[in-house]
Amino acid sequence: MKPVLVIGGGISGVTTAVEIAEVGKEVILIEKEPYFGGNVVKFNNYFPKLCPPTCGLEINFRRIKQNSKIKYFTSTEVQEISGEKGDFKVKIKTAPQYVKNNCTSCGKCIEVCPEERPSDFNYGFTKTKAIYLPHEMAFPYKFNIDDEYCKKELCNKCVEVCEYNAIDLSAKKEFAELEVSSIVVSTGWKNYDASKIENLNYLTSKNIITNVEFERFIASNGVGENKLLRLSDNSEPKKIAFVQCAGSRDENHLPYCSAVCCSASLKHALTIQELYPESEIKIFYIDMRVVGRNEDFLVKVQNNKNIELVKGKVGKINETENNNLILEAEDILSGRKIIYEAEMVVLATGIVPSDLGLDLLKESNGFHNIDQKYGIYVAGCGKKPMDVSASVKDATAVALKAIQIN
Amino acid sequence: MAKKIGIYICSGCDIGKSIDIEKLSQVAAEQKVNACKNHTSLCSVEGIDLINNDISTEALNGIIIAACSPRAKTEIFDFPENIILERTNLREQVAWSFEPNDENTQMAAEDYLRMSITKVNNIEVPKPFIAENISSVILVVGGGITGITSAIEGAKAGYTIHIIEKEEKLGGWLNKLHKQIPYVAPYNTLIDSEIEDKIKELEQFENIKIHTSTTIIKIDGQPGKFEVFLSVRQAGLQNSKEAMPDGRQEKITVGSIVTSTGWNPYDANKLSHLGYGIPNVLTNVEFEELVKNNPDKALPKNILFIQCAGSRDKDHLPYCSSFCCGTSLKQAKYIRDLSPESNVFVVYKDIRTLGLYEEFYKEVQKDDQIFFTKGEIEEITENDKSINVNVKDTLIGENISLSVDMIVLATGMVPNGTEVLNLNYQLGKGLPELKYNFSDSHFICFPYETRRTGIYAAGSLRAPMDIASSKEDATGAMLKAIQTIEATKRGEAVHPRSGDKSYPELYLDRCTDCKRCTEECPFGAYDENEKGTPIQNPNRCRRCGICVGSCPERVISFADYSINSVSAMIKSVEIPDEFEEKPRILVFVCENDAYPAMDMAGQKGLKYSSFIRVIPVRCIGSVNKVWISDALSQGFDGILQIGCKPGDDYQCHFIQGSELTETRGVNIQETLETMMLEPERIRTEFIEITDYHKIPEIINDYVEEIELIGPNPFKDM
Amino acid sequence: MIEVKPDIEFKKQLKRISNSSLNECMQCGTCSVVCSLAPDDKPFPRKEMIWAGWGLKDKLIGNTDIWLCHQCGECSTYCPRGVKPADVFSAVRELSYQHYAKPKFLGKILNDPKWLAVAILIPVLIISAILFMAGTLQIPEGPVNYSKFFPHAWLNISFTFLWLLSMGLGILGLRNFLSDMKKQNPEIKPTGSFLKNLFSIRKEIILHSNFNTCSAQKTRKTTHLLVFYGFILLLFVTVFAIYAAVTHKYPLAITNPFKIIGNIAAIMLFAGLAIMIANRIFNKKDFGNSTYTDWLLLISLFLLTVSGVIVEAARFLNWGSAYHLYFFHLICVWFIIIYLPFTKFGHLLFRVVAMVFASSINRKLK
Repeated sequence: MKPVLVIGGGISGVTTAVEIAEVGKEVILIEKEPYFGGNVVKFNNYFPKLCPPTCGLEINFRRIKQNSKIKYFTSTEVQEISGEKGDFKVKIKTAPQYVKNNCTSCGKCIEVCPEERPSDFNYGFTKTKAIYLPHEMAFPYKFNIDDEYCKKELCNKCVEVCEYNAIDLSAKKEFAELEVSSIVVSTGWKNYDASKIENLNYLTSKNIITNVEFERFIASNGVGENKLLRLSDNSEPKKIAFVQCAGSRDENHLPYCSAVCCSASLKHALTIQELYPESEIKIFYIDMRVVGRNEDFLVKVQNNKNIELVKGKVGKINETENNNLILEAEDILSGRKIIYEAEMVVLATGIVPSDLGLDLLKESNGFHNIDQKYGIYVAGCGKKPMDVSASVKDATAVALKAIQIN
Repeated sequence: MAKKIGIYICSGCDIGKSIDIEKLSQVAAEQKVNACKNHTSLCSVEGIDLINNDISTEALNGIIIAACSPRAKTEIFDFPENIILERTNLREQVAWSFEPNDENTQMAAEDYLRMSITKVNNIEVPKPFIAENISSVILVVGGGITGITSAIEGAKAGYTIHIIEKEEKLGGWLNKLHKQIPYVAPYNTLIDSEIEDKIKELEQFENIKIHTSTTIIKIDGQPGKFEVFLSVRQAGLQNSKEAMPDGRQEKITVGSIVTSTGWNPYDANKLSHLGYGIPNVLTNVEFEELVKNNPDKALPKNILFIQCAGSRDKDHLPYCSSFCCGTSLKQAKYIRDLSPESNVFVVYKDIRTLGLYEEFYKEVQKDDQIFFTKGEIEEITENDKSINVNVKDTLIGENISLSVDMIVLATGMVPNGTEVLNLNYQLGKGLPELKYNFSDSHFICFPYETRRTGIYAAGSLRAPMDIASSKEDATGAMLKAIQTIEATKRGEAVHPRSGDKSYPELYLDRCTDCKRCTEECPFGAYDENEKGTPIQNPNRCRRCGICVGSCPERVISFADYSINSVSAMIKSVEIPDEFEEKPRILVFVCENDAYPAMDMAGQKGLKYSSFIRVIPVRCIGSVNKVWISDALSQGFDGILQIGCKPGDDYQCHFIQGSELTETRGVNIQETLETMMLEPERIRTEFIEITDYHKIPEIINDYVEEIELIGPNPFKDM
Repeated sequence: MIEVKPDIEFKKQLKRISNSSLNECMQCGTCSVVCSLAPDDKPFPRKEMIWAGWGLKDKLIGNTDIWLCHQCGECSTYCPRGVKPADVFSAVRELSYQHYAKPKFLGKILNDPKWLAVAILIPVLIISAILFMAGTLQIPEGPVNYSKFFPHAWLNISFTFLWLLSMGLGILGLRNFLSDMKKQNPEIKPTGSFLKNLFSIRKEIILHSNFNTCSAQKTRKTTHLLVFYGFILLLFVTVFAIYAAVTHKYPLAITNPFKIIGNIAAIMLFAGLAIMIANRIFNKKDFGNSTYTDWLLLISLFLLTVSGVIVEAARFLNWGSAYHLYFFHLICVWFIIIYLPFTKFGHLLFRVVAMVFASSINRKLK
């Protein structure tokens, strides 16, 4: 049997790949970024346990490293898929590998690199050198060069300093063709572009950030390094408001519910409380959608006297002179408008499926449903909005679907 | 087996600038090794060639790479399986963490090399346990939609499946459904129950054996070879309570098991405050059956749905049952389809139609005669002709009273236990349960983690879920069941130590039948005979080593991780005498989270005391007391254990390792007392993988405290 | 505690008129926040939307807030469920004209296109009858002189009488409206006399200050001011014309200051109305749903203005069809003036009464 191709190495893709490989089948895993882990590797913690994603990823990466059944490619994208169930030919393109696999991550190059780039890992809120380690726990554990910012041979400093001859600035794109039996598409999601929600003033106010950005703000290895800092003045905000359904459940934006944002904001609120027990947090919501046993998590938040849940959607945010933010919502149960001044606002923006570029599959709102007859399967948030645990379940289920072919 | 060891020291990545490699090589010379070579970059092609060349010319069977962390360059330093590979972490945990060219740094590097050599000399390449006649058959327990889906998906992958159902008919709750919620866009029409089609599909597979009216008497054995004893009820007897086994028994052998015993509705008799007991007050399940059985019967004019009836309620079910919002929407919709005159009212706490089901909610809202409000039921009274319901905290802006003819209580899901598996395990008949009796995984990233290897739960016994989720869950659980069989065939562990071929070996001659191993194994790998002597089931084992830590007689070891090998490593550390004022702290570090955290601390250039000597352990729960007493007798001044977080939100990958370390702490303090040592000589810390910034503080604090207490009196004894 | 019994018919009427799928409201409250007028306490329109969804007619008809809304449409623009609260409010107002109409049939025929012919036939017949009684029901000879066709005394007396009758009926409806508003706010006792409260809202009326915050429809304030003051000026000129007809030589010369004012007013009306109509046709997104009632008012006002100018021109230019045009103009006048309490034009009464009441219970807009 030809190997299974898994496109996208976030939590879903990584899971599908290791689950298939541990059955004893061959898998090829490709990822467009230079590192695996997708969105979740940027998360500070998971709900409801408030545990770090890298804990489970460490194990999954070990499962990949130790398993000869998995071949993987990073900085790689699919160009073309042809063929049919059982016999696909897939053309892939790998971005120039300026840093070769013999990089030891010793870090000498960083010291000499004169160019800076915005860190994509921290959503551009911090900078790295043009040659950089994507993050501490990056897998593959090797440096990468940002094509856009590196001056290449004009500078050449990293090449000179590298003791291992691991940098080749003349590297070119590489192309390959794979023969695979079935394809799992786990290209995941992006968060909704908050600047489209005009009334929430995301673009004009520095202290309004999105929930995924907040993950990097609160992370100990993120923007503020063990502190939650707001951008306007680097102060530590003590009054923080969460705006639920920022773009979700909204026909002007995303008509569906993104399924994870309620729990994510509860998680953020509790994480802030751990760091700053005296902080004051308000969460404005329409329906609090925390299902199953995670209800306990909601109760934990309800019992925290510093966190207030307000039923009512925020309709307006205006910035004050000192860059605080005035939020307006109707407290539906009392029937009174609430005007609240927060020092930082987090918009709970939703899940937008990555464009799969496959018109074979039936879709609604950009999400795709499995249709077994094609031999192409969608795993994770490309199928519908779901949390990590559901994505892993789905990825495991899809692993079985993908090996049923023969 | 006699070891032919080659040592390869890398001087790259600042190791050479921090450590005197020549001097370090002399350590190797003191020990009997076959080769000891340096290279500026071992991971380069030339470096690997050098090693491979030695392997073939010297016939090495032990390789020590003294270079970077074992987490780095794993795929490069990959040698044939019959060679023991040991990675001495000189980069992250010495050169990058300690002061360069310091006497203490050099001593640490030398000790680590000694420990590695000792380790290789004291371990063997594991020989996998491969049982004979491993069965590739999978048992599915429970013939509801979850079980049926699981069986079909397994059969499609080519495996033989036995599905058993206690009732005479397959299908479970879906047999009672009038309609189902649509799974896919555009969510505007309800679909008929899919169960008949599913059962037909199931019956077409030749590799699926269906056992209805069947229960399990007993399950013996382990993954790859579970012996399942079935009892088949006499045909025609429907009521399982009355029916007795007619003596017909069957035995089947299976390799792994998917459990999908499903759920039952919450007992509505406890919901009299919501009107249950009044005629025309039904549960959602009763209402569904009513319509299913009498689709032509006229429905009353005004029908009220009360959501979260007994769910999200600390006096009843504290959790959300997940499916009830969708079910009430569905029922509201078909009421309106069947009865154009009817008004439907829905009083909810929150409408929880997650994800794309929001579209279904909107679809139902479109109906002019379905009325929604958030609210709390205050009072329900029965009138002559109708039922009067007072609702407070509504969206209307004031309390409202509704006069209705029927109330449907959206009651929740209670998981059926898994006791019916009748596992013949020392630790109980069913799967261990989490809070509220769900047999779920505790891990977000590993939802199929099971504490009974080879037995996977699927569907609503795991967590409250709807049909679509149950089907997905069923498929995933089947993959894991298949995987267990395949791993067992290879003699390998399943997640999280996937691929590990070692397994515990017991020297029962010295066993005192204290039962600690059987009690403490989180996975129920040990049974006991009548005397209480452990009976090993290696295929249930997950190789965490907690039994190694539990055994007071030190009779449990792995080929590559044993009481002796770690003790010998401890003893190989050179302890300076007390006048040198160089305390030694032994640090047991969980290799799952704490060890990577230490690597990251090094990578970030965080500096901490070089008086520590780290030994990575499979789980902090695998630390045996004897290692602690050995270390203290050896002259170590303190012992630090760093594990994963225990507690309600524990992060220990082996469930109770961290917790056991805490409880064993009492026992260990007694040992300290008998040795007349201060209790502070042992400390346990729990960290997360991302807590690397805390490493210097944790280590330096402890070193300071030990310096205050003074040297271990056992030094030099 | 209220006993809730949905009025399904009322709800369906609202849905039909507003062309809004008001059911899909999920009560998030965005509308109440983006509304630039809604007060902080019990803001609108979120609460009205659930009343509409539940068919609670009694809470919507006779509701003050429905009339405090100035229909700027921000709520509809930002509504995440596309349920257009502004149009629902507009529909409630339309149903209110019908609800408070006395006699009921006038409310009915003026808000339903299928009765349009009857609505037109009534003034045609009555004006013809008056002309018949005056003995002038024929096209006069000679240069155009409208008083030969409709003697001034007959015109002024009959139209004034009919207008007073209609306003009297309107006031009866308004009294019921006021009493409903009081019933809905039992906890607050109104203070101050009607006139005192009217005086306190003079600024809102004179300057249209409530229109200021309307960002979705920037032209609305200007057009409404043009029409508002154009109409008032014309009314003023008309009153003078009645006076002049009695005391002076009539018709007035084109250079007469009153005539000039009248023509300026006509231009103001024309401009305002033309933009209003264009907005409703070309910018449906911001200006919302336009109902029959909206069009009836706009078109009759527009025709009134246009026909007035043409009639004036016809007189100076001695057109042969002048008297037919004049008759048509009189029908337009009838639609605007006599039908006032029963059409959307009634908003000037209902809205003022609601604003006065709001002032009396101290319900202040933002």
